[in-house]
Amino acid sequence: MTDTYITNATWAQSGLQIDLRMASTPGDELTTLFLDDIPLSGVSAIAPAGQMEIPAGARVINAEGKLLLPALFDLHAKIEIAGCSKRECIYRNGQAAIQGGVWGMLVMPTKGFCFDNASTLDSFADAVTQRSAATMIPAGCITEGMEGAQQTPYNTLAARGVNILSDAEHVTDNLLMLHRAMKYAAELGLTFAIRGDVPALTRNTYMHPGTTSYKLGLHGTPACAEEIGLETIIRLAQDAGAKLHVQTVSTAAGVDIIRRAKQSGIKGLTAEVALHHLLYTHENVGDYDTTFKTLPPLREQADCDALLQGVKDGTIDCIVSDHTPCIPFAKKQDFVTAPQGMVSLDTFLQTIYTMLVLPGKLSWAEVVRACCINPAIIANPYDQEEGTPIAAPLLLFAPDEEFTVTEELMNCGTTNTPLLGKTLRGGITLPLC
Amino acid sequence: MNPRKDLITIDSLSDEDIRTILESTSAMKDIFTKSVKKVPALKGKSVLTLFYEPSTRTRSSFEVAANRLSADVTTFTVSTSSVVKGESVHDTIDTLMSMKMDYIIVRHKNSGIPAVIARHCKASVINAGDGAHAHPSQAFLDAFTIKEKYGEVGGKRVVIIGDILHSRVARSTSTILRRLGAEVAYMGPGPLVPQEKHTGIPRFTNWEQVFQWKPDVIYLLRVQNERMDTPFFPRGDYHQAFGITEERLRRIDDLNLSIMHPGPVNRGVEICDAAMDYRNTLINNQVENGIAARMSILYHLTPQTQNND
Amino acid sequence: MPTINQAEIEQALDAWAKHLLSNTAPRAAGKLAIVGLITHGDVLARRLVQKLEQAGCPAEYGAIDITLYRDDLSLRGIRPALRSSHLPFSTDDMALVLVDDVCNTGRTARAAMEVIFEYGRPARVELQCLVDRGDRQLPIQPDYAAFTLTAPQSTRVQLKLQDIDGEENINY
Repeated sequence: MTDTYITNATWAQSGLQIDLRMASTPGDELTTLFLDDIPLSGVSAIAPAGQMEIPAGARVINAEGKLLLPALFDLHAKIEIAGCSKRECIYRNGQAAIQGGVWGMLVMPTKGFCFDNASTLDSFADAVTQRSAATMIPAGCITEGMEGAQQTPYNTLAARGVNILSDAEHVTDNLLMLHRAMKYAAELGLTFAIRGDVPALTRNTYMHPGTTSYKLGLHGTPACAEEIGLETIIRLAQDAGAKLHVQTVSTAAGVDIIRRAKQSGIKGLTAEVALHHLLYTHENVGDYDTTFKTLPPLREQADCDALLQGVKDGTIDCIVSDHTPCIPFAKKQDFVTAPQGMVSLDTFLQTIYTMLVLPGKLSWAEVVRACCINPAIIANPYDQEEGTPIAAPLLLFAPDEEFTVTEELMNCGTTNTPLLGKTLRGGITLPLC
Repeated sequence: MNPRKDLITIDSLSDEDIRTILESTSAMKDIFTKSVKKVPALKGKSVLTLFYEPSTRTRSSFEVAANRLSADVTTFTVSTSSVVKGESVHDTIDTLMSMKMDYIIVRHKNSGIPAVIARHCKASVINAGDGAHAHPSQAFLDAFTIKEKYGEVGGKRVVIIGDILHSRVARSTSTILRRLGAEVAYMGPGPLVPQEKHTGIPRFTNWEQVFQWKPDVIYLLRVQNERMDTPFFPRGDYHQAFGITEERLRRIDDLNLSIMHPGPVNRGVEICDAAMDYRNTLINNQVENGIAARMSILYHLTPQTQNND
Repeated sequence: MPTINQAEIEQALDAWAKHLLSNTAPRAAGKLAIVGLITHGDVLARRLVQKLEQAGCPAEYGAIDITLYRDDLSLRGIRPALRSSHLPFSTDDMALVLVDDVCNTGRTARAAMEVIFEYGRPARVELQCLVDRGDRQLPIQPDYAAFTLTAPQSTRVQLKLQDIDGEENINY
């Protein structure tokens, strides 16, 4: 069996030119190579470009002009598509993820994938093994049915590989229940993934308060609700000794709160921002464009800037997709009735490259940290059967390739993205060979 | 005026559209002086009133307007039960499409619903009020009433008083008045008046500021307790703080200001009894002009159903 | 393109006024009203009323907009702006002369008749026009036409009047 060689690849993290020999026998994988502390999954040898000895007849992939980086891990995706079987949802979103450079994701619970019991988790794990091209790790529910009342069996969930708990978009106002849940789950080493919110302040609100909400006559979601919610869950988790992962921060003051908390030395606190909160503002809602209805809502340019700064300085650990498939019927309804969320897995890395890296807002090193390394550390993907951690595969990224986003390209099966018809840059090879 | 299918907001209209509809309103009003108060302009056309929110005034105003243009009017009663059952707007649209209506006049508590219906229907859709978004026919009757009183809207100062936050009337009427060159200010209880940086409209919170601003027209909004799930302000003192009291009425009289209100009026809340009989109270004119303005709107819209007649 | 110029139009209006004086006015028993159809017809009507007054025969002036009564409204995408009708007198027992600019299909005259009867019950109604260009589609004939053209149906007859268009002529 001949080995496969990749030559002249540019290591995205540092810009180093390298040659690789890919592992072809299982024995090779026993010793994992590292570059910049990043595990090189599936690689058996590495050398500066041009210095690798390549035997005659070997299969060679010339990666000149292409970037080599670990594939992305998405800490926040929903995969339920109304009217689709669960197996179909798993298959489609797996395809979508791979196309967008994402090898694994943390799947948020939804009505149809309500990870609050053992049998749902077992059947999900089986279906993922059979149907998904990407690794899918379930986030267990904090409460039964995500109703905010009764805690789920955390021991049972943990025994099935759950290490992150979340009720997805549902935020409880029952702090006593949450405090007790945190104290209990902290003993099991589980992380709570929660969004900052005060439900009483955000009920019947539909977008960021401002010029657009005034013009459209839609009630505004006050930023302070997110900020008060953030302070609350950070203090609560700190007191309970639980690890907390803050989901989808959307406001500048929210970034500050997390920054201060981290500076004060709080341990086990991480945070994420949804990609769309870095790219769009409330003004994109325009004349009731439901594509831009998200939770939390899209805010102002100053918030986008502060969130981006948070990613750069490490206050915000991860950029997530907050991928939420919504069928066309649902999004064609009026703005108040239409569901929140957009899909972004299909074009995740291409969008990040085109809209953040190319304009110079983020460096490749920052992307690798926020989209590849940090999320994988937090999610800690683990092979239940082998009992070993799963390392991210590598991918090749061709920055000069260009394509137009079409409906046919949306593997996830829905088209609730503002990118339809837009041109993106980047060609992804995943897996490498 | 270029052919236009729907009227959803004032923003969507050109200056010429606004002028044309206002001019025709005047011609429509002349019809009321004839012995036969009816013209055959929309003979054979069908008009549907689709109100998801209770309203007698606006609905009957539209129905009279349609009748005077000789259209056939159908009232579609949307029981609250079918809404509770989860009937989506799309199901309703399918029903409407099969009814082959030419004009659909719709009111809904959700901002943005008429636009959704308009996108999916060949019929002309007229927004008769959606959530806190827009109420364009009210805007036209208000602008016409001011034009009729002063000869000109441009250069006039109008202060809109009350619950601006929940008011589609405030949004649409302020928009049309400003497009016609008037100046508009908002006044009301703090939590109910949006910030100037969001609206572009000066924001007052008491009557002294209003009088100092030297308005020509005081436009009162109805206090809509039914829209407030959680109270926005103390219940007891609205009239004293923000209403037209008898004392304020004397000052309004001295300054010869006009009073308008979209109705229905809460006497003793927004306005004292005496102010209803004040010589410059234009509330009844607004009702009469409402019919003419709605006739003009109906006349100037062009349903796409006509091509298949 | 044949043209009728301003002087010829003025001459025709004089002749028209003379016709009104000798034929219509005697039958009106002093209750004569000249009602123009907006637009252009109303301008012609006003000029005729002036000429009648100069000749010592006062007549009421009125103008009506027949747009809302057109039978082709729903066929046309564009809705013309409306003008206010102006009939500041009771039409009951009056002799009305409807003044149209160009009489063609007869549909405008039909609509005008419908409008007039919604204001009251005139004693008699006549239809008079500046140009009769033929091609009637309804059984309606003008009682008087200042010019009679026999142009083919496709010909566009265009009347311009000083007060409205800044020049005055008929092109066809």
